[in-house]
Amino acid sequence: MGPEGEGMATSTHPVAAGLAAQSPEGAAVSAAVQALARAARSFVLYDASNEVIRQLLQTWREKALAAVAQLGETPLEFRPFDVTFRGEVVYHDPDREKSLAFKLFRDGVRRITLLPGVEWSELLQLLQIVALRYTAVRQQEDDAVTLLRKADLPGLKLVAVEGFAPAEERPEPESGEKKREGVKPPEGWDTPLPRLPGPGPLAWQPVSPEALEALRESESEEALVRTALGLGRDLLSEAVRGHWPRPNRDLLQYFCELRDALLAEGKLGPLRQLVDLIAEAGAGDIREELLAGLGDARTLDLILEALPEGATDLPPELLAFVPLLGLEAALDKLAVEQLDRRRALLLKLVLARLPRAADAVLRRLPQLEPQLARALATGLAARAPEKALEVGRLLLQQRSEPLRLEGLEALARAPGEIPLPPLLSLLSDPSEGMRTKVIEVLGRRGDETVMPALLDVLQTQERAPREVEALGRALADLAPIQAGRHFAGWLRPKGRFLIGPSAQQKRLQWAAVAGMACLPGDEPERQLQALAQDAEDELRKHCLAALARRRKGAAHG
Amino acid sequence: MDDLRQAQQHLGRSLHKARAGEDRELSQKVRENGEALGQMLSGLLKMSRVHALDNRAFDAPVAEFARALATLQDLVGVVHLVAVEDQAYLNEIRLRAEGKPGLRELGGELKKHNVGGVSFHAAMAEPEVRRLVAGFAGPAAEPHPRTALRERLEQDGVRTVELHGIFRYRTSEDLETGEVDPAAALQRTMELAQEAWEALAAGRVFNPLPLRRAVAELIEIGPSSPELWDAWVTRMPRQEHAVAVALHALLLGSGAGLGKAVLQDLGVAALVHDVGYAAMGGGAALSGPEGLARHPGEGARVMLRQRGWSDAKVRRLRAVLDHHRGHADPQGRPSLLGAVLRVAEDYCSFQRVHGQRITQADVLGAMSRAASAFYDPLLLRLLVNGLGRWPPGTLLELADGRRARSISPVRDPETFATPLARLCDPGTGAPVGDRIDLAQGPAVKRALPG
Repeated sequence: MGPEGEGMATSTHPVAAGLAAQSPEGAAVSAAVQALARAARSFVLYDASNEVIRQLLQTWREKALAAVAQLGETPLEFRPFDVTFRGEVVYHDPDREKSLAFKLFRDGVRRITLLPGVEWSELLQLLQIVALRYTAVRQQEDDAVTLLRKADLPGLKLVAVEGFAPAEERPEPESGEKKREGVKPPEGWDTPLPRLPGPGPLAWQPVSPEALEALRESESEEALVRTALGLGRDLLSEAVRGHWPRPNRDLLQYFCELRDALLAEGKLGPLRQLVDLIAEAGAGDIREELLAGLGDARTLDLILEALPEGATDLPPELLAFVPLLGLEAALDKLAVEQLDRRRALLLKLVLARLPRAADAVLRRLPQLEPQLARALATGLAARAPEKALEVGRLLLQQRSEPLRLEGLEALARAPGEIPLPPLLSLLSDPSEGMRTKVIEVLGRRGDETVMPALLDVLQTQERAPREVEALGRALADLAPIQAGRHFAGWLRPKGRFLIGPSAQQKRLQWAAVAGMACLPGDEPERQLQALAQDAEDELRKHCLAALARRRKGAAHG
Repeated sequence: MDDLRQAQQHLGRSLHKARAGEDRELSQKVRENGEALGQMLSGLLKMSRVHALDNRAFDAPVAEFARALATLQDLVGVVHLVAVEDQAYLNEIRLRAEGKPGLRELGGELKKHNVGGVSFHAAMAEPEVRRLVAGFAGPAAEPHPRTALRERLEQDGVRTVELHGIFRYRTSEDLETGEVDPAAALQRTMELAQEAWEALAAGRVFNPLPLRRAVAELIEIGPSSPELWDAWVTRMPRQEHAVAVALHALLLGSGAGLGKAVLQDLGVAALVHDVGYAAMGGGAALSGPEGLARHPGEGARVMLRQRGWSDAKVRRLRAVLDHHRGHADPQGRPSLLGAVLRVAEDYCSFQRVHGQRITQADVLGAMSRAASAFYDPLLLRLLVNGLGRWPPGTLLELADGRRARSISPVRDPETFATPLARLCDPGTGAPVGDRIDLAQGPAVKRALPG
């Protein structure tokens, strides 16, 4: 749908029925004013790069230039809810939130005249100022009037309320109150003055335009970044020299604001310089204070926003920020980030802080969703192996089954010996998934001491086939010879006459088949083949599956 | 990339940057408490017609008024509550009257005593608020109701409240039609600068908007306008340092061709450039060399309290920090605005300190000769070109024996040595007589100190 469509930023109906401009001149001006209002308001609804905004900009340009071309000087009078052109209402919107007239009127704008020869750049500046009012930006520094004044637009003429003036119909005598003394500078302020030579002659001396141009260059927009960085450096020096109170939130705020401004403008080079100048600051404690402060969540947000589309890694200039980034902020962000690309990047940022930040990551693990916890737990185990046991223990204490499963996995990967009694207690966990996983882990990381517990479960407790298989494989892993003996006894149970094998016998047989897939040598294979030939249905399939696993060498699947 | 795409990008960046420049928290607090203050005052004045002042119905709104005022005092210092037509403003911030009929009616309530605005110079205890309300509740005393109310309040011990007359909106057209009195503009600027100084000294956050509006008005009148300088020479205390430095800095800046935005920043910086002295403890602050060395940094420190990013803030801080940095400083040259302030300030300070012994022209001539050591030579040249052979304020002995005081900067190269002047009282040197154009004669015999 185009920008004129329903449900757009243009859903206001600025010129109400009966108030619509009647004259052709009024209609032309009305089209321009409405285009201005729509374009300005669109920034509330759309990202600045949206195609709709482009179309609205185009409309504003066309309608405004057309009106001025047709009418010459075009004065727009602003009332609280109307804009008029030579007495004719060309815009009316009673909605305070949406009304262009209201927003400018309340800031003191009373008339804006588009002059012949007004340029697109000036129309754009006007739009920018109006858009600022729509996006609810109320800077202490400026309002619409001061913004328009300093924009110095020769193609526009502004009449605005500049303030209040006394307007007494009945003037009264001055009170004669003694004015307050106020705060005064000390005696001898601004002295000693420099010692000057005797006066020289005074005469008019021409100054070339080139010299003036060079003088002004230092105050140009382009030079401002240099000025801001230089100011940052000098403020740091002053803070050290003048023993400013510490911690100094104001100073930190300056650097945070500068960082934000540079990121907003995509000025990554100067951003790097910002980090460097702080890093080179003389006083270590101030430096650390600022560097720590700069690594807040906002930096992370801005860095992520500044990433080029499709980027899978940080640009080199932004890498300078990595050591500064607050890990907590990164973890906060990671916990909520939805975009896979950003999530992967955040994960990289966090992992890059390991092993130093292992404890912080460890603390956060229980709060993360399992996939993320797994990724971080893996990272922890790889980069801080000494923490793996702790990771496992911590996750096992959680309620969430997926997290507990990740805890078991972390224990399985932990170097050195792992504590077995806590794992054995999990053999009676209510969750089949947990029990199965713990059996697998015991098989991989346990020793012969856990055999009795596994055998006991197998022999005395009703368990699902998958768990029984895991038990069989675990036994084979833990003690192949001993397990082989058990399996031999279980593989062909002698069932009672006409009744067949008991449930326990079947369970043991099932475990034996799974376990034999893991035993070395040809004999287990031969026995499995023979059983497969004799068995029926499920048991035969189970034997064949065990053989297949065995051949693939992936019996632990 | 086409120009529309560029425009889109530019707008997006600008809006993003502007949002980064906001101190929403502070603005919101000031606005909310301002609205509460105006609403409560209006409500209390209305209630006073219905209830006796000792009625318990006053308790809650009086307490709320006192609370809002105390909060605002803490945030902005002197609180100016002004009603213009049916709008109310707190320190130039418009208060939203939507859904708050009391704010719309405030002007009407105050007007009964010919009052248009109230300035609160300090927080008020609840009994004091009641006495304020009692004062307004009384009948308007003709022929000067505001004066009578002021006296009554004074008698009742309400001494921190200042009453103002009725206001109307002043538009930029008033400037064009000459309805703005340059002396009044300078007076406003001086008072605002003083308030900003006090606010910063008291540890508050710098609020540049009122000063920016005042400076914008001076720029609209014209930094080299003879009327503005005439007003400064003849109707202002010229020893008021901040305004003097601001006027000279604006003259110099406009001579350098600075754009209006940068000129505004320069003017605001000039009005607060010495605030570091206040930050070091007002009257007891360090003076002499140590104070001289420390106050630019201290000034920057207190001005850093202002939140929000803007080009203006950077320029202002840079200027304040640099305003005593010499042209040949081994640490590097000052910023342009800092260098302008250095020149303007030294010129004004030499007059302040040595004005009884040397003339303005001598100061300018001496500074010119010292240019490359202390000042940017190009700026000195511009200052000389702007102030002329007889800078504004110079006491002149004319060839016909009369005395006059120069009141205009240079109008054009031809009148470099023949400014506009006002005839002076021969005894006091006060400019009391007619305005004369020395280009039309008589000749200047010599300049006199003082």
